[in-house]
Amino acid sequence: MQKLITLQVNGERHELAVEPDESLLQVLRNRLELVGPKKGCDSGGCGCCSVHVDGRVAYSCMMYAVGAEGREITTIEGIGSPATGLHRLQQAFIDAGAVQCGYCTCGIIMAAKQLLDTVKQPSEDQIRLAIAGNLCRCTGYAKIVDAIKLAAAQT
Amino acid sequence: MTLPNLQDYHRPATAEETIALMQQHGDGAMLVAGGTFVHGLEVRGLLEGVTALIDIGRLGLASIRREPGGILLGATTTLADLAAADFVRGEPAFGAVRDALTYPPPQIRNVGTVGGCVAAAAPLYDLPAALLALDGRVQALGAKGARELPLDGFFRGLFESALAPGELITAIAIPAPPARTTSAFLKLETNANDLAILSVAVRLTLDARGAIGTARVVLGGGVGEAYVRAAAAEAALAGRKADAQAFAAAAEAVAGDFEPVADHRGSAAYRRHIAGVYLRRALTTARERLG
Ligand code: FES
Ligand code: FES
Repeated sequence: MQKLITLQVNGERHELAVEPDESLLQVLRNRLELVGPKKGCDSGGCGCCSVHVDGRVAYSCMMYAVGAEGREITTIEGIGSPATGLHRLQQAFIDAGAVQCGYCTCGIIMAAKQLLDTVKQPSEDQIRLAIAGNLCRCTGYAKIVDAIKLAAAQT
Repeated sequence: MTLPNLQDYHRPATAEETIALMQQHGDGAMLVAGGTFVHGLEVRGLLEGVTALIDIGRLGLASIRREPGGILLGATTTLADLAAADFVRGEPAFGAVRDALTYPPPQIRNVGTVGGCVAAAAPLYDLPAALLALDGRVQALGAKGARELPLDGFFRGLFESALAPGELITAIAIPAPPARTTSAFLKLETNANDLAILSVAVRLTLDARGAIGTARVVLGGGVGEAYVRAAAAEAALAGRKADAQAFAAAAEAVAGDFEPVADHRGSAAYRRHIAGVYLRRALTTARERLG
């Protein structure tokens, strides 16, 4: 039996009918066509699906969409785009060359964003811990850390 | 669709409603708080029988209260909110809690709950080992009313606890630690999202002379189906001066306290060895926290 829910995503309200066991990730990607959050492991191990829920980073693959009703969801699409202007983290990832295949990028930027939202000048340790829940199979992380430092320096 | 028999996702507003739903669905009822543990079971195909997901996020159980007798942690308090509490950040007695909360990544800390990781009853989780070392107690509520159960003895086996069918955890109570109490937690893992290969939580309360009045040693990770209270290690510490010799004696004794799991992540001999090494380190850290 589908459930009718209202989801608040990137500042917009969406009325949706969803399966009771549909994950927030499935709803974002398949129903709202927000494909920034990626499906990697689908089980809380890789961080590709990271979004913000009430301003805090979370794995959208591990959250039921019905349970996310009433909370403020932000995906990478909601923090900046070529049309509306890039967020300084997005720009820094380009400038530092921190993207290879890009599959991990949206999730890592959302994890880094929580850090920069709360700590103005993070140490390298704080940066590494902030993205500890995100895997990147390409870059080796060095340039990702550089990019986050670059974005932090621009505050 | 990985919950083939799921009929509905409920978001009750009260504990009474929650208990009624649990009674109605019996074995088919599954409580959801942060959802991370539930999801872990779901992807392993272990929730085929679930007919109702019951989300307890609206029960108002997310609170941290300091009371005369101790601390009361509401069941749906997130790990992140607990980590931010003053006493967790600053007091040596809660060092084990602080340590345990540094392991999960932000994505888990922000949604995972205190009650959820206890209710999971899997020794692979970090925080319950620390709460057990602090003599925490589970406050449970069911159709027959409220009761309090010590965490010591609460974990009966993998995914099995002393909760009766139809009972939910409303809070974890931690008795006010006596003066000169300190604790620490240490975990062996391969990455931030890893479950413990082995973990150790310790708590020491020193008496007026500086000797160890009370010692708690709890092992988690690949130590069997439930957390282990390491009785021999505790006995090796009790009454002794809190120094390197006593810690070495405990590290030796702990080898006899458990039957390690042997798997691709570590042989039994390796886990036994690590238990001693980590116990000594955790005790040393705990001692240093008292200054
Ligand atoms: S897809 Fe969610 S953590 Fe991997
Ligand atoms: S850039 Fe390919 S996974 Fe990170």
